[in-house]
Amino acid sequence: MVEPVNSSLGKMLLEEVSPVVMVLCTPLVEETFLKNGLSFVETLKPFCNFSNIDVPVRTSSDQLYRLKKFTLRLFYASDIRQPNVEVAKQRLEHVITQAGEKDFQNLTSDPPQITDILSNPESEIAPSWFQYYNKELIRTLSFSDHEAFDHPVACLLVVSSKDEEPIKNFIDLFNSNRLPNDGAMDPNILKHYLLVHDNQDATTERTSKVLSEMRSQFGNNECNLLCTNSSKEGNVEHQANPWASFKSSVSADKLGCALTGDDIVEIKDLIQEFASRHIIPYMEQKVRELNQQISATRKGLRNQIKNLWWRKGKDDGPDATKGSISTESQIRILGDYAFMLHDYELALSSYRLISTDYKLDKAWKHYAGVQEMMGLAYFISDQSKKEAEYCMENAFSTYMKLGKSGFQNATRCGLWWAEMLKARKQHKEAASVYFRICGEEPLHAAVMLEHASYCYVLTRPVMLHKYGFHLVLSGDHYKNCDQVNHAIRTYKSAITVYKSTTWSHIKDHVYFHIGQWYAIVGMHDVAVRNMLKVLDCGYQSKATQEIFLRDFFDIVKKTGMKHEVVGLQLPIINMSSLQVIYEDHRTYASQASALVEESIWQSLEDDIIPSLNSGKSNWLELQSKLLPKKYKESNVCVAGESVKVDLEFRNPLLISTSITSVSLICELTANSDDLQLVDKEPSSSILDPKSSTEHNRVTTSGFSSFALSEVDFTLGGGEKKLVRLTVTPSEEGILKIVGVRWELSGSIVGVHYFQSVPVKAKTAKGRKKNKLTPTDALKFLVIKSLPRLEGSIDHLPGKLYAGDLRYLVLELKNKSESPIKNLKMKISHPRFVSPGNHEEDLTTEFPDCLRKGNEQDIVQRETIRTNSVFAFPKDVSLQGDKSIRWPLWLRAAIPGTISLYFTIYYEMENVSSIMKYRTLRMHYKLQVLPSLETSYEITPSPSRLQEYLVRMDIVNCAKSDCFQIHQLSTVGCRWGISLLQPVDTILPSKTLLAGQTLSCFFIIKDCRKSGTEDYKSMSLPSSQTDVKLFTQDGDEKLFDIVNSPLASFHDSERSCQGPSAQVSPNAVDFILISSLAKSSNSSAVPDVPEILSHHSCHNSIRSSSPLSWSLEGPKTIHHDFSTLCEINLKLIIRNTSEGLSSVIINTIDCLLDTASPTTSSGSQSGWRYVPAVTEEMKLTSDVMGSRLSKPPSSMESSPPFIWSGLSSTKVQIKPLSTTEIPLQISVFSPGIYDLSSYKLDWELSEHVSASSTTSSGTCQGIPYYLTVLQSE
Amino acid sequence: MIVCVAVVGHQNNPLYIQSFTDADDALKLHHIVHCSLDVIEERVNNPKRSGTTLNEAFLGLLYPTVNYKVYGYLTNTKVKFILVTTDLDVRDTDVRSFFRKFHAAYVDAVSNPFHVPGKKITSRTFAQTVSNIVGSYGLN
Repeated sequence: MVEPVNSSLGKMLLEEVSPVVMVLCTPLVEETFLKNGLSFVETLKPFCNFSNIDVPVRTSSDQLYRLKKFTLRLFYASDIRQPNVEVAKQRLEHVITQAGEKDFQNLTSDPPQITDILSNPESEIAPSWFQYYNKELIRTLSFSDHEAFDHPVACLLVVSSKDEEPIKNFIDLFNSNRLPNDGAMDPNILKHYLLVHDNQDATTERTSKVLSEMRSQFGNNECNLLCTNSSKEGNVEHQANPWASFKSSVSADKLGCALTGDDIVEIKDLIQEFASRHIIPYMEQKVRELNQQISATRKGLRNQIKNLWWRKGKDDGPDATKGSISTESQIRILGDYAFMLHDYELALSSYRLISTDYKLDKAWKHYAGVQEMMGLAYFISDQSKKEAEYCMENAFSTYMKLGKSGFQNATRCGLWWAEMLKARKQHKEAASVYFRICGEEPLHAAVMLEHASYCYVLTRPVMLHKYGFHLVLSGDHYKNCDQVNHAIRTYKSAITVYKSTTWSHIKDHVYFHIGQWYAIVGMHDVAVRNMLKVLDCGYQSKATQEIFLRDFFDIVKKTGMKHEVVGLQLPIINMSSLQVIYEDHRTYASQASALVEESIWQSLEDDIIPSLNSGKSNWLELQSKLLPKKYKESNVCVAGESVKVDLEFRNPLLISTSITSVSLICELTANSDDLQLVDKEPSSSILDPKSSTEHNRVTTSGFSSFALSEVDFTLGGGEKKLVRLTVTPSEEGILKIVGVRWELSGSIVGVHYFQSVPVKAKTAKGRKKNKLTPTDALKFLVIKSLPRLEGSIDHLPGKLYAGDLRYLVLELKNKSESPIKNLKMKISHPRFVSPGNHEEDLTTEFPDCLRKGNEQDIVQRETIRTNSVFAFPKDVSLQGDKSIRWPLWLRAAIPGTISLYFTIYYEMENVSSIMKYRTLRMHYKLQVLPSLETSYEITPSPSRLQEYLVRMDIVNCAKSDCFQIHQLSTVGCRWGISLLQPVDTILPSKTLLAGQTLSCFFIIKDCRKSGTEDYKSMSLPSSQTDVKLFTQDGDEKLFDIVNSPLASFHDSERSCQGPSAQVSPNAVDFILISSLAKSSNSSAVPDVPEILSHHSCHNSIRSSSPLSWSLEGPKTIHHDFSTLCEINLKLIIRNTSEGLSSVIINTIDCLLDTASPTTSSGSQSGWRYVPAVTEEMKLTSDVMGSRLSKPPSSMESSPPFIWSGLSSTKVQIKPLSTTEIPLQISVFSPGIYDLSSYKLDWELSEHVSASSTTSSGTCQGIPYYLTVLQSE
Repeated sequence: MIVCVAVVGHQNNPLYIQSFTDADDALKLHHIVHCSLDVIEERVNNPKRSGTTLNEAFLGLLYPTVNYKVYGYLTNTKVKFILVTTDLDVRDTDVRSFFRKFHAAYVDAVSNPFHVPGKKITSRTFAQTVSNIVGSYGLN
């Protein structure tokens, strides 16, 4: 710790609590000294501090001590009075303003770092003018009447040798009423007489004469001569000008210009002598005198009691004590003199003595003053800390109790107290003291708060939060007094604290206000820089945001120029949204197709793109030959075609902001001059006019070589917008996208550079992508312009019903002059889309063109369609803004959301370029809604081997729409179809409502000749394969399912609905054709589908056993029964299964013996029941039931017929083939016979993937009624 | 009346700060809370000698400003809770129990698996709970 004497407070006390010398001088003296630009007092002032005078002093005690340091204060007599409060205030304000102006040049500097603040030495933390301010502040309180140390100790009378009557002047000076009318003034004050001799214009003779006169008049010792202005020319320059620190306003060079070094030495000596020879001894003596006097009256027990008694009797208030010679005053003077002579013991004892008296008298001001001095005395003599603090506290609170009048004293007391605490490293306490003396006057408060804030920095550990807070408070106060410079200074320091924190409310406040204030002092650019920090204030209230923005734009407008700001926070750019879309050999028809993942396209294009490794002229190889290695990995784009950049802008505010002229910042360097390509790092300095011009240059110079798009938009509160920006290079070279720029509300330009940001660029190869750095992704190799195919599909609906069949047109257009050739197309879903065969040449309207009778020549598709790649005819070549329209058939195969990808490959003719081919990629999305769903069940007809019963179930799965069904067709020429029952009767309305189900029955007939496998050779008239469901619409032609696109769709349906490997030849494919009912307003689908086709493939014939058979023979027979009636029958067995089947046929004569699987009642005989034998009966569904329930009939008697011929036969039937077994019965009498008394035992061995499984079973015979009649 | 409660993270970053006054004095309260961090730090670094307070999360009255009293509470994870009140005579026990409830609410909020530690607490439930707690203290 610093010794109290050497601490700042110690020094301050040495200066402030020091003897005052009253100066009385004639105007001529002043004149003499004004030649130096200084008054008399000012001239002497620098020499009034003696750091080493070494004067022996003896005060009360007998002990001698030596005074080393001493200070005198010189004042004109006129100044020795309490200064006017208002004047004092103005002076203080002036001090602050001056300091603020001095500070001005530092305002632009950046706020200091926290570490800098902390590492600063203690003395440098607070601004230097603080000391000066404190001194001035204390000075405003000088010469108060309750203290004695400001009262003049001595009087210095100065007369110039040029004065008319010097002696008379001396006497007049003191007797004139210029003396302060202070009651405490001692008329017998020590007087000293000084004669000033101006070497420039006074004669030595006269001076010496006057001096001798003086000496005789006033005494030898009390008179002195001072010769000044020895320099004739008056241009002496002082190395270390002693006056400079005292008088700052005038240029320091002029000061003391007429004073030579000898003069200065003379002045110095004079003052020192005056102090050591006269003042100190005088004070010494005075102290002794007073001490003696007081000891006599006040010290000792007797005096104290007397005093107490006497005091009690005299209760007329503090006024009585105020007399100039009152005991209390004397003691106070004694104390102050002792203090000034550094005899703190004596000072303390005297202070203590009167402090109780004052307290008893309730003379609070005096009491506080004494307490204050006690505290200081304790401090400086390094005695009890506690006492010192207690005294200061006591003094302070006592002053405060006095109210307004005491506040100024309290302030001084507080300052001293705080200094005391600081000297003892109790900075935190000091800060609180400063805080307490803030008072109401804002300017004063501001300074005190700033004081306090610096104390918090000095506290260990550092209290930065409080530091910041007090700075902010102080800044606000400064602002209230229009001390903007100071306000900025304090806020700037506060920024240090808040800069790195997340206390955004406070941060915004500080930045916003400092910005405003910078604008007030006219430093708009700095203001803007600070205001920029508050723009991203989404969490603030809307009103606050509005204020922020309004002021910001006001200031920006005042700057009068368009600033370019790197990293403007409004709007916020979402860098992760950055997406670069460009076209090299891949071109995209639409935005949506560009966003599709590259792998999808790649897999689609695998077949049509020439392989990279084979072939003479693949483009990659060429590229590597043509280009330096350096660019091999950069992206390729084509001149004249735009590179698109998608970027998301977000408005963090609640207020909508308009953003204009959003464009990319690009650099295009010609291929040839590689040297220029040295990365031109855009300068990142904010508001740097250089950088803005640089970019202007780039854009203007590059104007011819590339074109930029400009986008204007408005972002509402909190809105996000994805903005598409483009750059179109028009020359070959290297194009680099550097960043993006935009104008905010037309007044400020924001710039954002894309450096070191990950970019989702669509690059050519997946492998390569990983190697690319983000900046590479924004670097493009621009190659010569190439033809580019544009394609679109007209009227592609977005929403469809499943099965909807549409006729679409693909339009391809080549705008460039050079032709393209070798067009190929691949479609991701051949099930959905099938290209037509000709250029658009449909003569009839869709869908009538699908009807029969409109058949066109069909070129065999298989020749050009391989592996779902559709190659356009060779003669198709596009050139110069021509277009082709190619028909496409669309059929919504399955419900759901379907992404259709089209890729069209084409090659360029007559272009020698890196690229030999390009692809056009198109992507469309379809939403397919469920419509009708069909299911078919085919069961073999029990009576006819070639006929099958088909049950079709239709469900309308659509949400609201109704459908009409028109036609059911079987595919292929094998199956003839016919209605079993007209649908009109089941569904008279002809429309199927939403959710409705319908079952219809059909008969299909295998028209193949039995036994022959080759059904292709046989044909059926196509009319037999189609059936109209409603007979009413007879005039409508049936739809042609063979030649129309339906056939090709059916092909793909077939391959999709079932694996072709396991197709059984007996499977039947059906196509149901329907349309949306005209009555229903189609709510789900925007445009009404005209025709829907529902394909169902591989419907196999379902039956319970692997066998189907029929007994064939005559139905009715006439016989005369003369001979045994033998009837030949034929059993045709068909193996419907996939395996080899061996069948044993057992005919049963004696039904009783048979181990029948069903125990029947036996009440029925074979011929009691004679049903009407009609076809219909047998085909009804209870045929099966009757077969199961009726047989075997048990009969009591012998059977009316017996099986003759074979009783048991075993045959092997190959899969899916038929065999015939001859059977014979013998009938003995006429009647109707049920020939179902046979059974088939079958054993099936299926070879399924090497393991053979066998299954077996027994089938009962099917009823077969034979009528035998007696012939005439 | 409780005018402000705040949660401050261990790096002195504000996690949650909510004022319960009608006046537009958010900035002032922010400053008060921010300043009180110094006092908390001081308290924590120079704990009082008395043994009972060693493991005490409740830090007591941090400092009285002109109009407010500021209380602090430090969790084991060095998250600070700060309460600013205008009541001039507040019983320590009340404040203690307030902080206990507040702590529970905070723990609930940060136990949310979607809460990112060190980020601002945006849970509406937390805000609701806090205002309920504050409301219950405002009555007595």
